[in-house]
Amino acid sequence: MTTHRTAEPAPAEGAAAPTCAPARGRVGAHDVVEVEMTVNGSAVTFRVPPRMHLADALREQSGLTGTHLGCEHGVCGMCTVLVDGEAARACLLLAVQCEGAEVVTVEGLGSAEEQHPLQEAFSHHHGLQCGFCTPGMLMSSYDLLANSPDRAGDDELPEQMSGVLCRCTGYRGILAAVSDVHATHPDGVPGPRNCAARTLVGRGSGSAPAGPPTAQPDSTAAPVAEDVTIPTGAPTVTVTLASALAAPVDAVAAVVSDVERLVACLPGAELTETLPGDRYRGRAGAALGPVKLSFEGLARVVERDPQGRGLRLVGQGRDTGGSATSADIRLHAEPDPGGGTVLRAEADLFLSGRIAQFGRALAGDVSRRLFEQFAAAVDESARTGTAPTAAPVGGVRLALRAVRDAIRGALRRLRRG
Amino acid sequence: MKAAPFAYVRPGSLDDVLAELAGGDGKVLAGGQSLVPVLAMRLGRPATLVDIGSVASLGDLAVTDEVLRVGATVRQRRLERSAEAAAVPLIGMAMPFVGHRELRSRGTVCGSLAHADPAAELPAVAACLEATIEVAGPDGRRRVPAGAFFVGAMTTGASAQEVVTAVEFPVARPGEGHGFGEIARRHGDFALAGVVTRVRVGDDGAVLDARLTGFGVSDTPVTRDVTSIVDDGDALADLAREVVDTGGDSHGSTGYRRRLFRVLAARELARALRAARKERT
Repeated sequence: MTTHRTAEPAPAEGAAAPTCAPARGRVGAHDVVEVEMTVNGSAVTFRVPPRMHLADALREQSGLTGTHLGCEHGVCGMCTVLVDGEAARACLLLAVQCEGAEVVTVEGLGSAEEQHPLQEAFSHHHGLQCGFCTPGMLMSSYDLLANSPDRAGDDELPEQMSGVLCRCTGYRGILAAVSDVHATHPDGVPGPRNCAARTLVGRGSGSAPAGPPTAQPDSTAAPVAEDVTIPTGAPTVTVTLASALAAPVDAVAAVVSDVERLVACLPGAELTETLPGDRYRGRAGAALGPVKLSFEGLARVVERDPQGRGLRLVGQGRDTGGSATSADIRLHAEPDPGGGTVLRAEADLFLSGRIAQFGRALAGDVSRRLFEQFAAAVDESARTGTAPTAAPVGGVRLALRAVRDAIRGALRRLRRG
Repeated sequence: MKAAPFAYVRPGSLDDVLAELAGGDGKVLAGGQSLVPVLAMRLGRPATLVDIGSVASLGDLAVTDEVLRVGATVRQRRLERSAEAAAVPLIGMAMPFVGHRELRSRGTVCGSLAHADPAAELPAVAACLEATIEVAGPDGRRRVPAGAFFVGAMTTGASAQEVVTAVEFPVARPGEGHGFGEIARRHGDFALAGVVTRVRVGDDGAVLDARLTGFGVSDTPVTRDVTSIVDDGDALADLAREVVDTGGDSHGSTGYRRRLFRVLAARELARALRAARKERT
């Protein structure tokens, strides 16, 4: 505790005077203001009261729940994020203070497919147990290795990493991971790997930061947007599916190009309003075991195949329970050389809130089950020329099958290993 | 979101800041690394936070032959990583003990002085070096010596209508050496006891002047001229009895803090003396 050091040397770029945020007039204690900043490469607009801290804004309004909250008064370090390139406690920054700032959260550091070297090292060295402190540890160690690599030697590392608390690992694995990355990248680590313009879907309250601002006077009601924008960036999960149908391609195309018939084929979905501009309002329900989701949403057909055999549909929906989803769905029917039709679907799903917690594998399985039911209904509708017999969402059954498939998949992987 | 509701304003000029503070119910927000925890624990409930982050003129960081000037919005980590900081070696010695990296990236130097926690490092450095704190208010600007600025625990000579605009640390002169030490339960915690020293020696290595500031041991930083007792252990023990007046708590008794102070004082005066003599040769 009384060892001596000199200040960080290097009049680095980071030492330059930061640019000022623009001035802002008085905001009343109970007023809500729009604050623009960049989060993981995306421009976002938060709607916040003055006392809302940055971590709450990130979690509640952009669905970036990787930033954890522990003490909410600056002691534990769980909420550590990068603000203008340096690590900071997101609970000690008011969102309104961060106007124009560049924020990077753990979601921006890397993705499941392309992890940052620090994430790989934490995994390799078992630098986590329960995982609660891991986002804070990653962002703090990124700051250290990116901005002050000369302070990351083994003698200083424990104190340099003391700004984030861990209650399960005893820190050994964490320090080994950071030390390892420091050794392989002595002059600084590679930049964040998952920062690009993308769609951020907010949780229950507040506005979704992406897309044009819409009037949402009552933030407690689940608001339904007036228009839909094509989501961008990396989706939570991408599902590519194909199903062979008995009906001939022209009959299938007649269903695919008619949104009312199409929706009738989708288990649990209901069209409530047809709007101008090829837009549709509706609701969809899904039940996964004890979880019941009921989405109210808006969809728009953005492209139609000239032959009427396919369309591209973007939609966004919101559940009163705090889950939100956006989807970009491409549907296409083509003749099967062996007779009948192959119906293909490619969907980019952007999930946040409870629904996202099911994880990718399960979300994929559920989507596949839904699509199989959907394809069967399209087939029936195409062959009979009528709306399909309303098939209720077999919620429990659906979930059980998905879980069973997930377990089977895991067992297969185990046997392979 | 734990803080009680407050209004917020971020003026673009110092005049506008002073206008917002004129009512007396505003609180200046700079980095917020001390203030926001106070709000989160609802120990403070200001009606309005006046964010000075958009006042470009308060962001100056410059060094002359005489002083290192640090404007009110200069963050601790910016100073720590700047070339200018080398002119005041104690900045580099004390800064690693100020919170953690993640706090210094937002916390400001002047904010730490204005918050005036009795266990904080930067007020003690300012007091030991006889820094000058510049304050602006409705009656214009005034300059306050650090020794007179810290009035009590978290209480300064600046009124609620005033704002700290800058601090000027004297740059180290030839023949000057420094020491800094503190004991805390964990790295980044406020000190149980801490000591800042500055010793000046002549060409022959004789002590010309020695100052010592203790922090975490009373309700303000406590500075004493120790020129005649630099290497007198008994006199430093007497000094510890006189200076350390905090009551004991679960982290350490008064007696324990006195012992920490005595040991730190002897160690950091010796360090400063060594550095000063080395500087002369």
